[in-house]
This record gives sequence, C-alpha cells and structure tokens, in this order.
Amino acid sequence: MRRWFALSLLFLSAAACARLDAGAQNAAEPWWSLRPVVKPALPPADKRFPDWSASPIDRFVLRQMLAKGLEPAPPADRTTLIRRVYFDLIGLPPTPEDIDGFLKDPSPDAYEKIVDRLLAGPRFGERWARHWMDVIHFAETHGHDQDVPRDHAWPYRDYLIRSFNTDKPYGRFVLEQIAGDVLFPDDPTVIPALGFLAAGPWDESSLRDIREDTFDRKAAQYLDRDDMIGTVSYAFLSTTVQCARCHDHKFDPIAQEEYYGLQAVFAGVDRANRPFDPDPQVHARRLRLVEQRSTLMSNSHAAAKLIDDAAVAAWEKSQGTNIWKVLDPDVFTSAGGAAPVKLADGSIRFGGKRPDKDSYTIEAASDLPVITAVRLEVQSDETLPHGGPGRQDNGNLHLSEFKVEAAASGKRRPLALARAFADFNQAGWEIDKAIDGKLLTAWGIYPEVGKTHVAVFVLKEPLKTAAGQRLIFTLQQQHGGGHLIGRPRLSATGEDPTSTIRPLPAKVKEIVAKPAAQRSEAEKLELARHILLSRVEAELATLPPPQLVYAAAHDFKPEGSFAPTKGCRPIHMLRRGDIKRPGAAATPGALACVPGLEATFKLSRPDDEGERRAALARWISRPNNPLTWRSVANRLWHHHFGRGIVSTPSDFGRMGAKPTHPELLDWLAATLLEEGGSLKKLHRRIVTSAAYRQASRHHAEYAKIDADNSYLWRMNRSRLDAETLRDAVLQISGKLDLTMGGPSVKHFVEGPGIHRTPKVDYLAFDPDSPGAHRRSVYRFVFRTVPDPFMDALDCPDASQFTAVRSSSMTALQALALLNDPFMVRMSEHFAKRVAASGNLEMQVRQAYRLALGREPTEREGAALVSYATRHGTANACRLLLNCNEFVFVP
Amino acid sequence: VSLQGVSRRQLLWSLGGGLGGIALAQLLGDDGLLGSERALNANGSGLHHPARARRVIQLFMNGGMSQMDTFDYKPLLERHHGRPFNPGTRERVEAVTSTPGNVLGNPFPFRRHGQSGRWVSSVFPHLARYVDEMAFLMSVASKTNVHGPASYMMNTGFMLPGFPCLGAWLSYGLGNLSDNLPTFVVLPDPRGTPYNNLGNFSSGFLPVQHAGTVLRLSSPNSIASLYPPRSATHITPQSETEGLALLREMNRAHLERTPGDSRLESRIASYELAARMQVSAPEALDLAGETEATRRLYGLGQAPTDAFAKSCLTARRLIERGVRFVQVWSGAGGPTGNWDNHTSIVRELPPKAAQVDQPTAALLQDLKQRGLMKDTLVVFSTEFGRQPFSQGSEGRDHNGGTSVAWLAGAGIKGGTAYGASDEWGWRAVDPLYCYDLHATVLHLLGIDHERLTYRHNGTNRRLTDVHGHVIHDILA
Repeated sequence: MRRWFALSLLFLSAAACARLDAGAQNAAEPWWSLRPVVKPALPPADKRFPDWSASPIDRFVLRQMLAKGLEPAPPADRTTLIRRVYFDLIGLPPTPEDIDGFLKDPSPDAYEKIVDRLLAGPRFGERWARHWMDVIHFAETHGHDQDVPRDHAWPYRDYLIRSFNTDKPYGRFVLEQIAGDVLFPDDPTVIPALGFLAAGPWDESSLRDIREDTFDRKAAQYLDRDDMIGTVSYAFLSTTVQCARCHDHKFDPIAQEEYYGLQAVFAGVDRANRPFDPDPQVHARRLRLVEQRSTLMSNSHAAAKLIDDAAVAAWEKSQGTNIWKVLDPDVFTSAGGAAPVKLADGSIRFGGKRPDKDSYTIEAASDLPVITAVRLEVQSDETLPHGGPGRQDNGNLHLSEFKVEAAASGKRRPLALARAFADFNQAGWEIDKAIDGKLLTAWGIYPEVGKTHVAVFVLKEPLKTAAGQRLIFTLQQQHGGGHLIGRPRLSATGEDPTSTIRPLPAKVKEIVAKPAAQRSEAEKLELARHILLSRVEAELATLPPPQLVYAAAHDFKPEGSFAPTKGCRPIHMLRRGDIKRPGAAATPGALACVPGLEATFKLSRPDDEGERRAALARWISRPNNPLTWRSVANRLWHHHFGRGIVSTPSDFGRMGAKPTHPELLDWLAATLLEEGGSLKKLHRRIVTSAAYRQASRHHAEYAKIDADNSYLWRMNRSRLDAETLRDAVLQISGKLDLTMGGPSVKHFVEGPGIHRTPKVDYLAFDPDSPGAHRRSVYRFVFRTVPDPFMDALDCPDASQFTAVRSSSMTALQALALLNDPFMVRMSEHFAKRVAASGNLEMQVRQAYRLALGREPTEREGAALVSYATRHGTANACRLLLNCNEFVFVP
Repeated sequence: VSLQGVSRRQLLWSLGGGLGGIALAQLLGDDGLLGSERALNANGSGLHHPARARRVIQLFMNGGMSQMDTFDYKPLLERHHGRPFNPGTRERVEAVTSTPGNVLGNPFPFRRHGQSGRWVSSVFPHLARYVDEMAFLMSVASKTNVHGPASYMMNTGFMLPGFPCLGAWLSYGLGNLSDNLPTFVVLPDPRGTPYNNLGNFSSGFLPVQHAGTVLRLSSPNSIASLYPPRSATHITPQSETEGLALLREMNRAHLERTPGDSRLESRIASYELAARMQVSAPEALDLAGETEATRRLYGLGQAPTDAFAKSCLTARRLIERGVRFVQVWSGAGGPTGNWDNHTSIVRELPPKAAQVDQPTAALLQDLKQRGLMKDTLVVFSTEFGRQPFSQGSEGRDHNGGTSVAWLAGAGIKGGTAYGASDEWGWRAVDPLYCYDLHATVLHLLGIDHERLTYRHNGTNRRLTDVHGHVIHDILA
C-alpha cells in the first residue's frame, strides 16, 4: 500500500479546501468576496408595490424576486409580527400585555417603537452574544481529555453582551478582541475581549503535562495557534485560512507562507487566566508600579536616580528593628513518620525516615497582643542533601499548602491569608501556590539550594490575641518524591508587615552587614534597588486584587511546564505540516489575496508579539477590507431571515455559497461602514423592511420556482433554538430570572472525577436551583459533557465553529421536551401561574395567551379543558410547550 | 434555524434516514423514502457499492493497549531485556511522560494458535481460540502519543475536538435500520466515560442527531428523558396516551392552517417514534430473557467479566434490533483502571485483559451461532500502543508508533494479518492509520470513503480527511 505521509505528519491537510485567491490574482475579476465593497445604485421604486419602495433593502429584494416571476407575500398580522421580532431581537416571546399594547396602538410607527425599545434594552445583547459564541466556539472547559472547567471564561461573555448592548462600533469590536491590550492600553475594560482568542479548546495534556522536550509538545503548540487562526479567520473574514496549513501541490507555496505568517502573529500568546483591573484608576496605578518594577529589575542604575543616601540610611534604620518574634513550638509532629527535633534557635529539624509525602503540624503559644503576619524560614542545614533547605536529593522542597489556625480556650479557627511573599521562587512553583487551596501546586526553591529561604504570609485580618493564644501551623507537602522541608522555623509579628514584606535576599543581607562606607558602587545600587522594589511591592499589595479572565495572554503564572514564552516562539514553515521537518522561518503577516491591502506588516519591533497582533487587528478592521464588512452584514441577515445572503456565513470562498443578493449585501456592508459600524442601525433597517414583515404563508406555485425561498417571496418560519426555547419556557412559567452577568450557572451537579475532569451529572440537577432560572446565555457550557436537553435541541458541539445551527426533529428531542426534568418542573410552575386566572376555562385561556400569544378557539379550549380535568393543568401546560405552534416562530 | 421548503431531505434526516435513502429516493422520484432506504440496505446494497456488512460493533480498549504483550510477539525484546534501548535508527527515542528506560521484555508467554498460527500471549486465552476468525492489523500508528488527541483521532480522524466520529458518519451516510431505536449507540465503561468524555461520540459539524446515544447500563435512567422523572406523579400512562393524541390533534390543526412545511409533519412523526422508543428501548436492554448458557458464555454475573459481558451482550441485542453501530468501551479516562499501564505491565495488564477476554470471545461465538456474523462487523481497537522500553521498572509509556487492531465478521478474511511493526514493536514498518481502518469499515458497509462528504466551512469534510486506503488484503 502506498504511503504518502510521514509518520509524524502533524496536520491533517484538506486537499478539497478551496483557496480564495487560487487564480484570482491573475484573473481579470477577483472572486466576488474579494472585490471592493461599492455601494450600488438603488433599483427604482416599483409602483405596483408601494410598501416595498421606502427601504432600500426592499428595492433590492423585490427586483430579484420579480425577475424570478415571484411576488411578495402580504404583511404578517400584528400578533405574528410581534412574536417574530421579539424572538429574533431578544430571544424571548412577547408577554400578553406586550401583544395587547401593540394591537391597540394606532400610531403608524407602532412597530418601529417596539423595535427601538427592544434594541435599546438589555435583553438584546444577551441574545446576540449567544450567536457570536456559536461562531467562535466559546465554551467554559478545555475540551480535550483533561476537560477542566475554566472558572474565569465568563468575563468575555459579559464583554460581548456589553458590546452588543452599547452598540460598540464593529471595527472597534474587531480591534479589541485581537489586540485590545496593545491598542487601548489605558482601557482595562478591553482585556476580557481577549477571551475571543482563547475561546476554543486547549489540549492540557499535550501543552502542560507531557514532557516539554517532545515533538508532541511542539506539535500541540502549532495546533493551539491553528485554533486561534481559525477563530479569527472564520469569525471576522469568513475565510478558511486553516486549509493552507499543509504543503499540498495543489496550493502555491506562498499560500502556505501566509498561513505560517498568521501562525507567527500568535507566536507570543497562550491561553491562560489573565489578571486585569476593571477600575481604570487601579489599572493605571498598577501599570505604573509594574513598569517601575521591571525597570528596576532590568537596570539597577535606574535605582540611583530614584533614591538618595539619606533615604537608604532611614530604611536601614527601620530594618534594624526586628519586627519578628520567633515562636517557641511545644508540639511538632510529622504525619509521614519523620523524627522532629527542636533546636536552640526555635527551628525544628525533621530527620530520620524520609517519607514520600508529609504534613507537619507545629504548635506554639504567642504572647503578641496582635498578629498581622507570620514568617516561615526554611533553614539550610548541613545534615540535609546539598545543605537543604529541602530533604529531596537535590536539596529542594515543595510546600503544597501553608495553613495557620488560632486556638484559644479549646476552639480552633483557621486564619485567612491575604498574600504570601518569598525571597526566592522556583519557576512555576511560586509562593502563592502554597496558599491557593490546591494540593497539586506548591512553593519550591530549586535551584537556590544550600541557603536559607524565607516566606512571609500576611493575614487577611489582624488577629487580636486572647490570653493563652496558640497558633497551629500545618505545612502540607504533598507533591511526593521526598520534596520535604528539612528545618523550618516560624515567627510572628504584630507590626505592619508591608515595610518588610520582601524578606532580605541573601545578597542584600551581606550588603547590609557591611558598614556603609565599605560598600562598593555596585553594592550600593543593589541595595537601593532592593529598597525601591520593596516599596513598589508594598504599594502593589495595597491595590485590590485583580480580576481574572481566561484569555490570550503573553504573561501569566506558569503551571508546571506550561509557562509564558519570552518574546515570540520561533515559527517555521512545516514541510507537509511535519513537525520534524521545519523549513524557513515564518514572518508575521496577513493574506495577500485582498486587493488594496498590504499583507506584509511593517513592524517597528518585529519581535514584539503585541505589535504583531495589533497589525493583524488593524488589517482586518480596515474599512477597505471587503471580507470583514460583508461577513458581519451577512451574519446579521442570516439570523434575521434564517439564512444568510451567503448561506455559508463563515465561508465566502469558492467552496462556499455565492450570495443570492450580491448588491444588497454590498449595500448593507457599505451602509454599515457609513454609519460608523453601528450594528443596531443595521438591525433596525433589516427588521423594519417589508421583506422581514411578510407573512410566512405557503405558495404552491412559487415553491416550484424557488423551493428554498432564496428570493424571499415569504418570510421563513424557524424552529426555536435551544436557548430561546428554554428561555421562553422560563418566561412563560413565570420563573425567568433576569439577573445579568457574573460566573456561569452550572446546570449539573459537579463532583470529583477520576482525573482532572470533574464528574458531571445533569439528571441530578434540580431545575429550581439558585440561578437555574437565569437566561441560557449564562449557562456553563461543558465541552465534552454537553447537556442532553440542549443537545436534543441541536445545541452544537462547542468545540466546532458553528455559523449555522442544524434544526432537527428527532424522537430524542420529543422525549426531551416531554420528559426532561426542566420541562416537567416548568410546566408545573406554568400551571401554578395560571391557577389564579379563575376556572379551568380561564386558566386554559391564559395558558394559551402566555405560551402561544393568542386566545384558544372554542374547540381548542374545550379539548384542553377536558384533558386538564382528567390529568391536571400541569400536563395541559406541558402539551402547550410541546406543540408545533410554540416550537416554531411564525 | 432552518427553512421550510427544502425539507424533504430535512424530513428524512430528522427521522433518522441517511444519505442512501435520499440519494436513491431522489433518483427514483419515490416518496416512500424511508421504506425504500431500509429495503435497500436489507438487500445488501450500500451507498456506493454493494455492502458486505449492515452493522458494526466496535470494542475500544481505552488507554492504549500494549501490543507487544498481547498480539505482537517480539522475541528480540526478551533477548535485550534490561539493556539500553537502541533501535539503530536516527530517530530520537523519546517518551511523553517519562525518561525512556531500558528494554522491557514481554513478561507473558506467547504461543501460536489456530490454523493460522497467530501468536497470542497468555493474557487472552479465550480470544486466542478465535484467531482464525480475525484479521489482524499489526501496524496501526497514531500521529500523537497523548491520550486525548489520539482518542479523537481514532474516533474522528482528527486530533482536535469538534469532528464527527465514525458512528456519526455512518448514521449520516446510512441512516437507521429501525425507527424504534437510535442509529448509533455508545456503551461506556461503567466506571465512567473515556478520555475526551462524550467528545469521542460527537457529531461534530454534522447535524446533532447523528451523535452517539450514550446508554449508561448501570444507571436506572439509561437513556436521558426516556421517561418523566419519578417525582412527577401527575404524569401517568393514561395522561401520556391521551396527551399525545391531543397533541397530534393540535399539531394537525396547526398544519392545516400553515400548509406546505414538511418539518411540521416531521415533528408530528417524531412524537410517534418517541412513543415507540419508550417501548423498544427497555426491551432491548433487558437481559432477563437471555438463557443461562448465554449468561455463562459471556461471563455475566461473574468477576471480573460482569461489566464488559453486560455491554457485549447488550450490544448483540441492540444490533439484532436494528441499531446500526454500537461502540463498547473498556476502561474509563484517568490514570488507572484502564489500559494505560504506566506502572507495571505485569500487575496492571492481566486483570484488564481478563475483563474483556471471555466476553469478547463469547460475542464472536454468539454472533456466529445466531447467524449474525455474516452481516455484522466486529472491530477491536485502541488509541495507540506502548513502548518497547520501560517506564520506571516495569511499566510502559505511550507509543503512537504502532498498535494492533483486529476485525472479524462480515466481509473479513479470518486468520489473516496485515502489516508489521519493526523488530522492537516500536514503529510500524509501513504504518496504517485510523484512515485506513475507517476506509475499510466504510467500504464493508457499502460506502466509498472518498465520496462520503459533508461541506463545512469551505471544505468537503471526510472521515478520512485526504487519506485512507481500503485494506483489501484482509477482505474475504
């Protein structure tokens, strides 16, 4: 059998992929989507259809319709129209009061008033954020075998809702999501926008757990960037750039270069929890302090300018006062069976057997009136390997968790720790990992062995000590492999710890020990730098803790071997996509196929990853990028009409569909640009068109000419999508909770799993749990364990880019709508809600009004009353929520 | 959001019909689409050429079954046991979770079996009796050495999440054989779902109805929402019978007011199918009717075989009743309790093998006895193999270089083997990939893997991407 790919072939090429620019550069006419957007002339009004002349949209639609021998449907009745526009714009049905109000409003702009109200309200952003989340495969877990929940993904969702609600100009929306941090450094509210690049899956096993030096690791990094490229190119450009990732003789070599040029754009980012300060003032202060810190770190000469000798002397004096009081332990035990011995200086040496893991308990009385912080010294000792301070063969230790409890008169209570600082941190094993509540992470000191190290833990609230106050320390060391502390010593202080928050590094200690006159210039600078850094740290410690968002990040806390790259990772063209056959180095750039736009970036600092992203963001958002503006105009049309002018909204290439109304699409794109990128104005234009306001009536003759209704001779009827159906059921049952924002609601019971992925049980979840009545956009989407109820309603695989949802009618869907605990419970609430309406006839009448927006006919009413009499109103209500009239938007 | 109008195709899919029915029905201008589709498959025709198999049971060994300790005999390893591993090629020797150790000889005795004389180690005494039914693929490689991407690859052909798996493609391509049961059923290990959880059974970008229906045999609610929650006492058989009748009446009336949209009819039909599924599914899953001999054959009710026996027997009952594709999993995700034997091949492999050995052999025998083997394909596979050198003292790390799979049943030439690994069992000499396995399975079901496509974001996607060759050498 012929084998034409290498064993380690990384990428899965798709030969069937269309290249947008294949041949287009040379051909006289570029492919339709690459031609510049030119606002077309309006077709003349047609006197036979006066309602279809006011809106330019209608003139374009009508002209093509008539050309096909089709004519528009009559306008939909008001009950239908209000139901349609509510579901469409805000994803909820109108209440009976909304409907009555509309029916009674005699003003000519009654409908426009409703449209304006819906566009201005907060529900609008919730509805349209959900659409965008489909397009960019946003979910809140990693999606691979370690499908770990992302606790901080939600700020991106809130960013989306806010952006749609405030009608953020689309160009700005693009810029923020690709490079908001770089382009708008003074606006911290754009940081969550970078959740866009991190929206997709992340392969934790390959990117964090396996050995760093393997091909599998490197391959996974290429694939991780590939996902970012996919997110950007499908969402903003409706272009299938990922198709060019492999060498294939069908594609020219430049095309592959362009793909790797995009890889190079993302060469400096990973996906991680990224801290940010929502308050711009705090943001500005932190920015200044962090900059000072990095200046001081990189250049000790900078310190000389910022501090004088007098200040150094004053600092030294303050240091001279020892604020720490060494504790005198009277209880000290090792859970792992080591032999502790107390030494004269108050430290405990743990000798004897060296267990794999251990946990020390050390108790001491304290006579300080108040305690603000405690200090742990891990002392060097010649009996330890390499002089310690750890018991591991290499002298290292790993402190998994550090805990303090206060005990007085028999009562113990844990003391919350606000922050921790250490004189040295092993890369990936920082001191804050000793107070993060996770036994899997820890503080370490490697390779700085053979020296004493110090960690300071600041209490969240000062402890006012009672008589006979005791402190109980637990030092958990659960990493294994004998990573244990050899000789700890504990101290406490009642002073403000911020002035000495940075324990003196060994080097500084030596300098301080010398008389000032004997210090060299270099030593003076070193000391000055330390003092200044301490001040910066102290001030930083006073800022409120930053929020986190799971986003693209260049700088983040390392987790094991998953660490930020310094600068940019080198990106190479991979021959046949083979990680073992790297070719030339790639340079960051965009696509060459867009006429009038320069694909090569002119970067002042080519190694600055932020500049690379900023260049791509600008390239995409330019007014003369035809892909960007056609793409978004078409997406709006797709959601309003159930199908886009281009029916493949994320693919404007040769394998995608061609526009049914190319001039209309250009008119929409050009108008969007003219109106400053305002999506709301475009929404309004579309939903107030006569085309949108048509009835969805059938026409046998027209169906023969245009079965797909491509030319809009009527409105399309659409099935409610999963979220809209669920939200509508909540509203109808009187339970909808309109709380906005914040962490997502998990519609499942979560328990510890076998490994990193938790156990997820949807059936055990109580549909009335706190938060469960909130809108579905706030639902926590678990990639590899999807909600069976939402699944049955065609919620897509959240690992895949979904521009168009499928819409099935299966037996499993019928079972879900009949029997799912949510549906059953809500129909009970629905029944209770209508119970107050009066007798059974009145209750059925009210149920019809709530669920279907209309009164039942006499026959319908009688049938449901008869059923409710025998089987209860809850069952009757459940039937209404299962009928076609409810499930389809007219 | 979907549209009315095009909905003949939609109607078919929504009811579980596949491409075959649509293609043929459109060709014949036949309106009795589902009927003709089923007749088509019953006659053994396929989507693109005559089918040899109508249905598939796949047994998936989760965690990476060691090939050199089971079916791929490597005497060289015993000779070099304890010495540094030097394969003598220029390729760097690496392992993903550990530092490569010395050569680790296989600890279990191997013996030749059957007419074909296949080597099988002592961990599979029952399966060894059936080697003449099996066609072995001795060189199945992966493009990764990591569980998650490797499991995605073996199920979907792609290392990333979001692609449709084999079962979903079959559902999409062939549709159902029965209206009363799902087309594609997954039976996970009772300890839990595998690496990637339900991601391995996803329909990816195909319509969601093609995703695997997961049956949790150990749970009282083996199918989500098959019945209302017990707490809902107002829901009774009578309320449901009358309710469905009234619902039908309401929907019919609505249909009369809004004609010309076959999706509305499709939804009416879906409630009738649901009612039938409520009856069929419990019957299919109820093992009480099985004879004592059958129970003994599979090892039902006995340690250590009970759980896998239950899955295998259920799989047989499901395919008998018209389920198209059943995937049975051995091992859940996580570091232990599956085939991921990092610590000790000697201690971890035999108990795992003992769980599946007898039930799998029983399944082959049972299918044969019932005459189901002639149109049922059985596939036994894993996500990757293991290393010829040790991890720690006697464990083995992941090895995407080669692994073993076997097929049996419809259209398979028993007693054959195709491909080989190198003398160490480290790398496949001429590697096969999931593409070739999938192409062969599709071929047996009457599908040309290059023509089963779905257009998604600019690409005519295939299960086999741009790869795959039908392995004709193992076909009868």
